[in-house]
Amino acid sequence: MAELSPEAARNRDLWTQTNAEYTHEQGRRAWAQEEISWGIWSLPEREVGALAGIELEGADVIELGCGTGYVSAWLARRGARPVGVDVTPAQLETARQLQLEHGLDFPLLEADAQAVPLPDASFDLVVSEYGASIWCDPYHWIPEAARLLRPGGRLVFLCNSTLVILCSDDEEPALERLVQTQFGMHRFEWPQGGVEYHISHGSWIALLREHGFEVEALHELQAPADATTHEHYGYVTADWGRRWPAEELWRARKR
Amino acid sequence: MSGLSDHARRNREFWDRRSDEYHERNAAFIAGGMAWGVWQIPEAELNVLGDVSGLDVLELGCGAAEWSRALLAAGARPVGLDNSAKRLEWARRANEEAGVGFPLLHASAEDVPLADGSFDLVMCDWGAMTFADPYLTVPEVARLLRPGGFAAWTGGTPWAWVTYDEGRDAHGTELLSDYFGLHRWDDAEGSVDFMLPYGEWIRLFRRSGLAVEDLIEVRPPEGARSTYRTAEDAAWARRWPLEQIWKVRKEAR
Repeated sequence: MAELSPEAARNRDLWTQTNAEYTHEQGRRAWAQEEISWGIWSLPEREVGALAGIELEGADVIELGCGTGYVSAWLARRGARPVGVDVTPAQLETARQLQLEHGLDFPLLEADAQAVPLPDASFDLVVSEYGASIWCDPYHWIPEAARLLRPGGRLVFLCNSTLVILCSDDEEPALERLVQTQFGMHRFEWPQGGVEYHISHGSWIALLREHGFEVEALHELQAPADATTHEHYGYVTADWGRRWPAEELWRARKR
Repeated sequence: MSGLSDHARRNREFWDRRSDEYHERNAAFIAGGMAWGVWQIPEAELNVLGDVSGLDVLELGCGAAEWSRALLAAGARPVGLDNSAKRLEWARRANEEAGVGFPLLHASAEDVPLADGSFDLVMCDWGAMTFADPYLTVPEVARLLRPGGFAAWTGGTPWAWVTYDEGRDAHGTELLSDYFGLHRWDDAEGSVDFMLPYGEWIRLFRRSGLAVEDLIEVRPPEGARSTYRTAEDAAWARRWPLEQIWKVRKEAR
């Protein structure tokens, strides 16, 4: 594997630790789940519809920042042929164990999502669920996603909403007021965190268009009435998430 | 005209009542046209429209038609639409003074009495896309555009809506209202304004056969002046977008 950027190395350290503390066990629960669900409020795909109309049977899928690989597993069970890419060996190790336990095998590749060692136009769907979508620089990983997709292929990614970032200070959870400036927003380093990337709506649209994507949907995820604040990801409360979007799913189609 | 919606009627009354006062306060500031929004950022800087010569253009909520006159001068064939007869009186007067003429239409942008596929460009600067229901105007825009034609308009932003302090008529940093369900605001002064969440705008465009081309989050220059907003709002808008420009294109098929 090519040498990592300082940001990717820092994020790998964070996710090695997080995997030991949380995602190793959480991945086990997610793999056991039949239904596809999205984000910290676990909203079922049948309600969100981020993948609606996308043929998964036989589709070549690449997951950028797959972590413990549960999204790829969900898609594999629906007939897709996923490849999971992640920069953190510890998470891929958990993914491999879970593959064995579930008898579900697909390639897992240790690589930076900004430089994937796979040929152009090899995939029908690029998916990223809190993977490259927040941990890689969009000005690097979006062109990479465009390169990897075949014409007509889809890009689906889940990230934090702009508004929750604007309301986030060094202390969790998010406040009910704007504290970060939007203009120029891009790279964020939180205390005890890694390096995250968050850009505004206008910047996402311009970037996607620049790389040949047509924006198909933006699903802004609302915490349901009975949601509770997430056990591990405490950056936002359920009360906040009922009034304002903490997370959003973008969907785009490569022309 | 039949079938005017309740909010269109209220906004007609509001703009008829406020027309002269509005003109007095803002007309000189926006007289040149070809500049967007409450800080009048020149089109030459934002380059939203490009070359308009030869285009059939509909302006939705033209007021005194400053934009339409400027588009005419740039070689376009404008039609100015407004829901207020009093605003259109100012447009007629200004056209006479300038010695120019183009159609001025008294109608709601929610129900435009013009044929399908009549325009290459539908535009609006804080006009009907703020004061009419987007669930009605966006499909109208799509209907009125020719395949391959485009629409562009300024309006407020969801952030400006959720931080709006009506008591002070200013934007602060506190989130005062909910984002989910954002749609309609009945202003204390009698107008009815509309705004949608980002995802809801995109859903509506796609459903109407419009491709999302751009979303310009407007940032005024330092010390920007306006007859519409205070210096406090200008300072706010240096940090967060207080106005935005959507640009969408009618799909060719």
